[in-house]
Amino acid sequence: MDTGSRSQGLPGLCAAYLLAALALLYLSYRLPRLLPGDFLTALYSGAEASLPPELKEAYRNQAEALITRGFVGYLNDFFTLDWGRSLAFRKPVRELIFTALPWTLLLLGSAHLLSTLVGFFAGVESAWRKGSLPDRLGVSLMTILEGIPEIGSGVLLLLVFSLSLGWFPAAGAETVYSDFTGWQRFLDVLHHLALPLGTLFLAYLPGNFLLSRAGMLYAINAPYMLTAKAKGNSPLRQRYLHAARNALLPVVTRFGVRLASLLTRALTVEALYSYPGLGSLLCNAIALRDLPLISGIVLVTSLAVLSITLILEFAYQKLDPRLRA
Amino acid sequence: MHIQYVKILRRDPWFLFAALLAGLLLVILLAGSWLSPHDPFDISFTPLERPSKEHWLGTNDGGMDIWAELLAGLRNTVSFGLVAGLAGAALAIIAGVVAACRNGLTDHVLMRLGDILLALPSIMVTLLLAALFRPPAWGLACILALLAWPGPAKTIRAQTLALQGSLHVQAARHMGGSPLYILIRHILPELFPLGVIAIISRIRSAVFMEASLAFLGLLDPMRKSLGKMIQHGLGYYYLDIWGNWLLPPLICLCLLLLSLTLMGVSLEKLFDPRMRETNQ
Repeated sequence: MDTGSRSQGLPGLCAAYLLAALALLYLSYRLPRLLPGDFLTALYSGAEASLPPELKEAYRNQAEALITRGFVGYLNDFFTLDWGRSLAFRKPVRELIFTALPWTLLLLGSAHLLSTLVGFFAGVESAWRKGSLPDRLGVSLMTILEGIPEIGSGVLLLLVFSLSLGWFPAAGAETVYSDFTGWQRFLDVLHHLALPLGTLFLAYLPGNFLLSRAGMLYAINAPYMLTAKAKGNSPLRQRYLHAARNALLPVVTRFGVRLASLLTRALTVEALYSYPGLGSLLCNAIALRDLPLISGIVLVTSLAVLSITLILEFAYQKLDPRLRA
Repeated sequence: MHIQYVKILRRDPWFLFAALLAGLLLVILLAGSWLSPHDPFDISFTPLERPSKEHWLGTNDGGMDIWAELLAGLRNTVSFGLVAGLAGAALAIIAGVVAACRNGLTDHVLMRLGDILLALPSIMVTLLLAALFRPPAWGLACILALLAWPGPAKTIRAQTLALQGSLHVQAARHMGGSPLYILIRHILPELFPLGVIAIISRIRSAVFMEASLAFLGLLDPMRKSLGKMIQHGLGYYYLDIWGNWLLPPLICLCLLLLSLTLMGVSLEKLFDPRMRETNQ
């Protein structure tokens, strides 16, 4: 699989990621100051309402303090988790992000896990029966599904299962003002998770299926499969212990490369269902023009993506001896 | 060589379907101004009207004709995709070919820059820039193009390097062909398929991203687009507007992406020998 960055060794890779992280941090430090006027005029110049003078003064002082601290001070603040205050919610950005993060992780994690499992087994079985009716149907269906954006499937699911049938709630992650405990709460969370999870599952599935199928087709033709057959292994053993293990590798390694797009799609689905994760928070922050919150979310998620991808790169080298050149 | 490609493509039902779909959307797009008598920004009609002879898809909450909005939205979404896709693919081809032809420092700098950009989640950077500067849509398309070139550029670089070692290019070089002649006469024509695949995949991801950005509320609210219409219509989901307001842009967006995806898959199957071998 072409990930583009495998050709160089780990030191080069680390350097590229470090530079990317620094570039992001510098952009978020520098860009707000390139806005015409200052922070406040940029935010409120078009607005009907005006701030009371003492608040204006306070915000200006806050912005001024940031500027005089310089990039090193900014970095220091960032890494000591001091991410500023949200203008609209009047809370520290850190607090808002850490409240929203678990929901995003729950949604993204469960959708990824489910779609990888289903996609992998379906892909392996489909490749094993290459050319049969189920295989051709599966490939056609998945190719079509690949072309349907999560907004499309999400709105349709919302229309059918929430508005027409009324089986699932249309928004939120829990019933508000309910004090469910234990099992009841768990079921309530699952009930709210169902539709966003279903949408995201449909969005992630085709990629996993097609990749597993392609990897499996490649593995089936390898000489070691002939050996496995000649040794008298049962078809099930041949399929899973010999071929599928090799088809699994690209599926696992692609996770790092796809993480950014997985996250983007999760954020969109959250915004659609008003699921209280980072996506909805971002959506609200944009609607309220809350710049510290927007840049906080963007920065934290991008840096998280960067570090996870880098850690995974290290893991792959351990997983796949061929990469340890 | 190209004739054979066309022959294979004409026998691929998926490609035919995708091309038909793309053609249909293109016709609707080009005939847009004849198909609707109304201005998409005209707010003089009764708000939230049901579909009628006068307004094929009714009117929205602001009293705008939805059919006219749909045509304008489709046009804007497609042009956003085209700008981002063509610019991104052009950058990818230039960067890939330049890196392959001038190996050494230029190659090194371009590819390391590519690694950094590949590592960045491009939608997040776009988001930050969009939120801060509120650039016009074509500006955002260019930003996307600037962030999205490294992927295809790496493939094109690898292919160019392989071509430079191939026998016919060596023969041309020994014949005394200048580097420019070899580039134009031998290398670029063979990169054509890769370029087409790069363009289609870039357009596809740009349309995807535009829908996401519009949905998160980052695009200019005055500019019609399919994603924006869906986001706007969802605010009135409790009314009976599904059939005439929400579904039409949704279906248009899905068909557009479907056509691009299927075309991309068919072309990749055609030009990637490994996939051709396994997917006959």
